[in-house]
Amino acid sequence: MTVGLNAFILLAGLLFAIGLLGVILRKNTLVIYMSLELMLNAVNLALVAFSRYNGTMDGNLFVFFIITVAAAEVALGLAIIVALFRLRQTVMVDELTSLSR
Amino acid sequence: MTATQSLLVVLFAPLLSAVVIAFFCRQRHGLAAAISVSASAAIFIFSLLAVAAAGSDTVHVTTDWLSFGDFEINKGFFFDSVSKTMLLMVTFVGFLIHVFSLGYMAKDPARGRYFGGLSIFMFSMLGIVLADNLIMIFVFWELVGFSSYMLIGHYFNTKKAAAAAKKAFIVNRIGDLGFVVGIAYAYWHFGTTDLEVMGQIVGADSSMVNLTIAALLMCGFIGKSAQFPLHVWLPDAMAGPTPVSALIHAATMVAAGGYFLIRIVYLFPDGLLTFIAWLGVFGAIYAGFCAFARRDIKQILAYSTLSQLGYISAAFGLGYPGVALFHLVTHAFFKALLFLAAGSVIHGCHHEQDIFKMGGLLKKMPITGITFFIGILALCGVYGLSGFYSKDAILIAGGFENVPIAIFLTFGALLTAGYMGRLFWVAFLGQPNSEAASHAKESPLTMVVPLIVLAVLSIIGGWIGFWPEQLGGSIKADLDLLHYTDGYDAMHNRIVIFGTAAWVIGLLGAFLFYGKGAKRDRLEKIAAPVYGFLESRLWFDEVYNYYVAKIQQRFALFLSFLDVFVIKGIFVRGSAGLVGLVGTCSRSLHDGNLHSYVYWFLAGLILLWVAASGLL
Amino acid sequence: MIDLLFYVFAAITLISALLMVVSPNAVNGAICMIISFISTAALFVLLEAYFLAVIQVLVYAGAVMVLFLFIIMLMDVDKDTSRLIKDKLTLAASIAGFSLIVILMCAAFASGEHLPETALLPVLENPTGEGIGIPYTTSAKSFGYSLFTKYMLPFQVTGFLLLAAMIGVIVVSKKHVENS
Repeated sequence: MTVGLNAFILLAGLLFAIGLLGVILRKNTLVIYMSLELMLNAVNLALVAFSRYNGTMDGNLFVFFIITVAAAEVALGLAIIVALFRLRQTVMVDELTSLSR
Repeated sequence: MTATQSLLVVLFAPLLSAVVIAFFCRQRHGLAAAISVSASAAIFIFSLLAVAAAGSDTVHVTTDWLSFGDFEINKGFFFDSVSKTMLLMVTFVGFLIHVFSLGYMAKDPARGRYFGGLSIFMFSMLGIVLADNLIMIFVFWELVGFSSYMLIGHYFNTKKAAAAAKKAFIVNRIGDLGFVVGIAYAYWHFGTTDLEVMGQIVGADSSMVNLTIAALLMCGFIGKSAQFPLHVWLPDAMAGPTPVSALIHAATMVAAGGYFLIRIVYLFPDGLLTFIAWLGVFGAIYAGFCAFARRDIKQILAYSTLSQLGYISAAFGLGYPGVALFHLVTHAFFKALLFLAAGSVIHGCHHEQDIFKMGGLLKKMPITGITFFIGILALCGVYGLSGFYSKDAILIAGGFENVPIAIFLTFGALLTAGYMGRLFWVAFLGQPNSEAASHAKESPLTMVVPLIVLAVLSIIGGWIGFWPEQLGGSIKADLDLLHYTDGYDAMHNRIVIFGTAAWVIGLLGAFLFYGKGAKRDRLEKIAAPVYGFLESRLWFDEVYNYYVAKIQQRFALFLSFLDVFVIKGIFVRGSAGLVGLVGTCSRSLHDGNLHSYVYWFLAGLILLWVAASGLL
Repeated sequence: MIDLLFYVFAAITLISALLMVVSPNAVNGAICMIISFISTAALFVLLEAYFLAVIQVLVYAGAVMVLFLFIIMLMDVDKDTSRLIKDKLTLAASIAGFSLIVILMCAAFASGEHLPETALLPVLENPTGEGIGIPYTTSAKSFGYSLFTKYMLPFQVTGFLLLAAMIGVIVVSKKHVENS
């Protein structure tokens, strides 16, 4: 394969930027959360690429742990969103403003 | 009962009495009076016990009061022969005045407050008498000032009394400013403010005497003992009840300044002593002239007090503090007598105080009149009476040390006899000049007995040979010093002749000039400009009023402006406002919108990146 | 040939990610997300991290995204029909964010040379990882070995974390029964 590290990193960066756009632009809490997962995914890609091009296994193991923690975090985050939905009957971020003032 | 224990009772019994009266007896007037009078009797008995227990020794006990590292303030008693004499005088005269007040204030609606004030005054005065270091003296000094304020302002509903009380306190305070600075300087210079220790330091090394310290401490004396230029409060203080004038402004408080000087005599360099002597002489002559233009009986006696205080400072300034103490004690006797007798007169004439509206009182109030006359004779220095011995000693000391002073003081004696004679001939002889005077009758026993006792003391008080050996040690020492100077006998004879001439001419001259029971002041009638000049009292009050109203008030307004706008407005409110502003700005970030938090996060990230890449 | 595979899967990843971000329907967005994850797994395969590719599909695309889909369908939200960029602030922030990341990446890695890949070592019997770190192999054995020797502590801690997450989820999503 002649595709070098730079391409993988650029791809990871673009994915991360798209995830950030999702966080900034969308109003649905769940979509925002999915964009966060996209950012994590981008980081995973970058880590694996580095790991491969350095010839060590440590990056892969780090990705292993990231996937585990991300799964746990998603479970918990979605539980919180469900509880919030039960209380407020909405998941739109611009309607969830009771912390203002 | 040791001396220290008796002294503790002496000091704290009046305080206890004042506290009990203040908390429980302000409306129960009879009870308040009884408590106060019995407290003053107890003080007198215990001070006798203390003097007996101490014998001829000096008792000096000190305990710690406050200490901050090296700096210590102690409290204690310093009971030497000077303080023994002063203690007995203060407690005895105080007791007599308490008894007199029972009669004089019998119909006053605020008697409870009055007797509470008397008790707190006794506490403060005894504190000054017994204190052993400068700081303790200062504390009681201020307490005496407060008691004086409370008692002068007893009739606080009248503007005159309220203003007089304020004036007394404020003028005293001006002197106390110098006093406080002097105490601080003395502590720094000597390392201690204990009277006995400072005396030892100066005795061992006479170069430790410091003119500035002595001058600053003298400021307190000038304020408290109404020397020129801070004398303006004493005549106005006559707005208080007459027993108060007797106790505070004749016998004890104004004497406290002189007593204080006697305690610290070793601190004074010679130049300053001469200055004090001339200050006293000026006061004596000035007050003597002013008394001729006064119509109120108490005002005349007030100026007489000013004049005699001048004598006391002159005696001190000539270098004979024992003689000053002697005159202080005899002055207390006959001046208290004069004031109490004046109180009896005022009481009998239903609060008429103008002497030209009295007249013929000798027939109507014989005991008062006779005791008053005895007081006058003592004041003028008639041979054999108490005032003679002390005044004689002062004049002899002046003759030896500084002849011009002696001449002026003899002239002052002439003036004294003149205005006192004027008072007596006009008020007590002749015919009654008003309704009030014609209905006068002798005062009740509680008022007359103290007069008689004081009259006896005024007669025999100067016979120093009969004083018990514990008292008057320093007086006898100074008198002996004079006795054994060369040329004493010739000087003594000269002074006796001049002194006698002075009072004879004064009394007779007043009799011939004013006549008995006159209705109008003859000086005013025939030489109105002279009378007017004397009445002006050299315009001191007017000058001070102008200064306070125009100059000081403007400065105070300027400072108040600074305080309101700069300190309150800009610093305090401004800093609070600034904090509030920051808070409001920070709070505006919390708008509850998730996306704004993301934007702030992003902004922080950009800032971090720019900082990390070295652009910032 | 392999390069072409890379470009194809990269394009799929990017496009589906973009579609997820802009789609008004949340379910559609979730499906696009799944596609994106699967193509990421393909990219992992290209990088010879086979074990991770399988894990990615199983856990991420299979469990996490399915959970997302459950919750989205539970919420039953309407289609989001408002404009994405509604005010200037949002526009500025999105441009700033996007360009920040891209510029970062270019600045860091636009040096022109690409790193060549190192050759893979044969599967070792007991990879020890001394000196150079655990050598990169394709077998799951090295994962197992590293997890139970070098990364034992993070492994155990992750176990605790999963326990805590499980308990947390149960507690948070419990319906509170009113005591009447």
